[in-house]
Amino acid sequence: MGAFNPPIRAGFWALSGLLLLGALVLPFVLAPFHLRLAQQILLFGGMAIGWSLLGGFTSYWSFGHTAFFGLGAFSAGLLSQQLGPEMSVALRLLIGLVFAVVLTLIAAVAIAGPVLKLRGIYFAIAMLAFAEILGEISKTFDFFQGTSGFPLPTLSALGLQKVQLFYFLFLLLFVANVVVFVWLRRSRLGIGLICIGQDEDTAAMLGIPTERYKLVAFVLSAVLTAIGGVLYGYSLGFISSGSVFRIDISLNLILYSMLGGIGTVVGPFVGAAIMIILTQVVLGDLLDLHMMLTGTVLIAMVILAPKGLMGLLHKAWSRRRAAAGEARA
Amino acid sequence: MNGTLLLQTLVDGLILGGIFSLSAVGFSLIFGVLGVVNLAHGIFILGGAYLGLALKAALGLDPLAAIPIVFVVVSVIGAALHQTLVSAAVRRGSLMTSLLITFGISLIVRDILILIFGPDIHSLASVWLLNTFHVGGVVVDGARATALIASLALLGLLSLVLYRMKVGRAIRATAQQSFAAGLCGVDAGRVHTLTFGVSAGFAGASGIVIGMINPFSPFDDAYWTLNAFVTVVLGGVGSPVGALLGGLLLGEISTLSSQYIGSRYPNVFIFGALFLMLIVRPNGLLGNAYKGSV
Amino acid sequence: MTILQVEGLTKQFKGLRAIQDLSFAVERQSITSIVGPNGAGKSTLFNMVSGYLKPTVGRILLDGRDITGKAPYMVCQLGVARAFQIAKPFPELSVEKNILVAASFGRSGPRDPAATTAHAIEICHLAAWRHQPASELSIGNLRRLELARAIAARPVLLLADEPCAGLNETETREVIDVLSTIRDSGVTVLLVEHDIKAVRRVSDRVIVVEAGRKIADGTASQVFADQAVIDAYLGTAGG
Repeated sequence: MGAFNPPIRAGFWALSGLLLLGALVLPFVLAPFHLRLAQQILLFGGMAIGWSLLGGFTSYWSFGHTAFFGLGAFSAGLLSQQLGPEMSVALRLLIGLVFAVVLTLIAAVAIAGPVLKLRGIYFAIAMLAFAEILGEISKTFDFFQGTSGFPLPTLSALGLQKVQLFYFLFLLLFVANVVVFVWLRRSRLGIGLICIGQDEDTAAMLGIPTERYKLVAFVLSAVLTAIGGVLYGYSLGFISSGSVFRIDISLNLILYSMLGGIGTVVGPFVGAAIMIILTQVVLGDLLDLHMMLTGTVLIAMVILAPKGLMGLLHKAWSRRRAAAGEARA
Repeated sequence: MNGTLLLQTLVDGLILGGIFSLSAVGFSLIFGVLGVVNLAHGIFILGGAYLGLALKAALGLDPLAAIPIVFVVVSVIGAALHQTLVSAAVRRGSLMTSLLITFGISLIVRDILILIFGPDIHSLASVWLLNTFHVGGVVVDGARATALIASLALLGLLSLVLYRMKVGRAIRATAQQSFAAGLCGVDAGRVHTLTFGVSAGFAGASGIVIGMINPFSPFDDAYWTLNAFVTVVLGGVGSPVGALLGGLLLGEISTLSSQYIGSRYPNVFIFGALFLMLIVRPNGLLGNAYKGSV
Repeated sequence: MTILQVEGLTKQFKGLRAIQDLSFAVERQSITSIVGPNGAGKSTLFNMVSGYLKPTVGRILLDGRDITGKAPYMVCQLGVARAFQIAKPFPELSVEKNILVAASFGRSGPRDPAATTAHAIEICHLAAWRHQPASELSIGNLRRLELARAIAARPVLLLADEPCAGLNETETREVIDVLSTIRDSGVTVLLVEHDIKAVRRVSDRVIVVEAGRKIADGTASQVFADQAVIDAYLGTAGG
């Protein structure tokens, strides 16, 4: 996309490669508790990046992404039940995944039209309502077994422990999210989306097909979230309404992105890492103070760092460059 | 179809709706005047209820009598919060910042309430509220009747202030055109703080009314905030009449679906109504009282 | 050769008929100006041509093709670009990136975004500010950014909405020169302007609109000598 994004420097590739290598080694050196933390960070950090495909680019903040999370989990899980114990777990997972993706695609396309006509807070709440409706439906009809929940068979492969295996699956999904995000940002579609986020009417006036572009971002984001739901369900070994249709999942995706920096690829991951480590490790026993801490972090962040941590870093970085420029002059 | 049952359900819906309206009007005002979605709304409501509880425990004060005190206290707290945090968030830009800050406030206050009062359920019901009245085959209990009357009285009071008093005019002018209002000598910042405070006060007062008929716990705040949002979407932003209409509609949907379809899932209908309204007519039945259609 | 044909255009709002049976043709590669007292309906006309509003009655033809009521992005892809009076740049993007967006989208067809951007920056004298965030520009520069962005969309028809409003003599002359250069490069310009001197200097043709109706159509000298036009401006015509 020409001069819009600078070409990717060699250093970026080197760093990414190094990080990936480190990530691949982690399951063999970390204790299970820490590995589970890493799992969470990868899963929810990755999904936060997926959320950002819509929210970070177009400024359409969905408050109901758990809808797709739950939709993915339930569709894959129920299909797995139907496929029966004769088929291998891995195969059932795969087929379930495809099914979940197709179903989510259809659902996303179905509601995208009307819902993407709403702006700002109305869109956010419409998505919240959508998520709640799906959650309620899963609890209402016995077919979904939502209230009681149903178990999923254990997945094992390659002689790995369960926690290690799912770590790798979450890592894979995380990388997928990152790749999609970076590809999008460097594509013409992504530029159009960013402009939609800046000023949607002007973007349309400049020939950007806003409706179509928003639909694509919406569907991409939905599908990636659904895949997360499928993997999460299998990692829990159990699917119920209460475990996958949760408003705090929706809110956390937003929180992580905001904390780390909306619209950046690293931001949501950093945000997820900080919040998950804070709440799980630092506050592990002080459950009572969870909310107070989250609330304080939120407020501090909005007041001090509205562009998130990456925004702060950016400012510090450009200030250093400006100072260096002046020093030279 | 049993006529009496239908009537009873409709009346119950009306009463519930009246309470919804009262509890939502503060949220509606803040949204209409400041353009801010106050996610701390529910916790103001609960704060009022818990304050009423504390006053009852410490001074033996009847909840109804506590309403004015709670109104003032929560108003002041709300105004202070606006001056310090909320206005800072609004200055920093997007709609979302005020959303996040108010959400953060709600988390902190909720935790404080849990630490002080514990996570269990409490109630503000008084014995004399348990009397029931029979009016033309319909049963209304004292608590609900009182709640409805209190709601309507408070809503009426608010309308009086907004439409008959100078400060109300200033509030409405700021909502429509804050810059122009500023040119006429209205201090938008002060009006915003005042509106936020008053709205918080109304939320707190409604908390007492709610607490009289429903048991409550610190975890209910999300429910009430969401209710307020649904009410505003259904009825339109910014006016007590809109809140009334929206609240009544919501109340009827709640009771009718509970009675005739099953009390297992009233939420589906509420969220369904919300979703539908957003798609069909995002500005609600009355439209945005101050800014006209989008 | 006509590039834009407006036929029997009428726009009725709830209580106001903003445009009444308006018809005119715009010649290719000309600068045609639309003038008229305030409230005459000029912005409404632009809104309809660019697709922002649908006419109540009437047709708009771009190069023979009916674009009446088409969505704004479609109209832009077919070759109409608009430079707004109140500039609406993308605030967080730099001047260069703002223009690059238009160069990457705009009219459908083969594109060379980098070249188009450079060309637009040059014509509108924005080189000194290329990397500045659009939110930090002065009003004069914002106007030129609007023009630059509009021409980077490679339009066949440019709608220039009061580009000289609030500018002094020198700045006005600069803008007018830019418009002439744009016209000479093959783009047709439909200009709405209040500054009569500027209009006289640059227009190939002038259309006068009052209360939604066309009251004169010809060269600048013809039109401004027309008694009806003088009356309209001085307010002696009824209403």
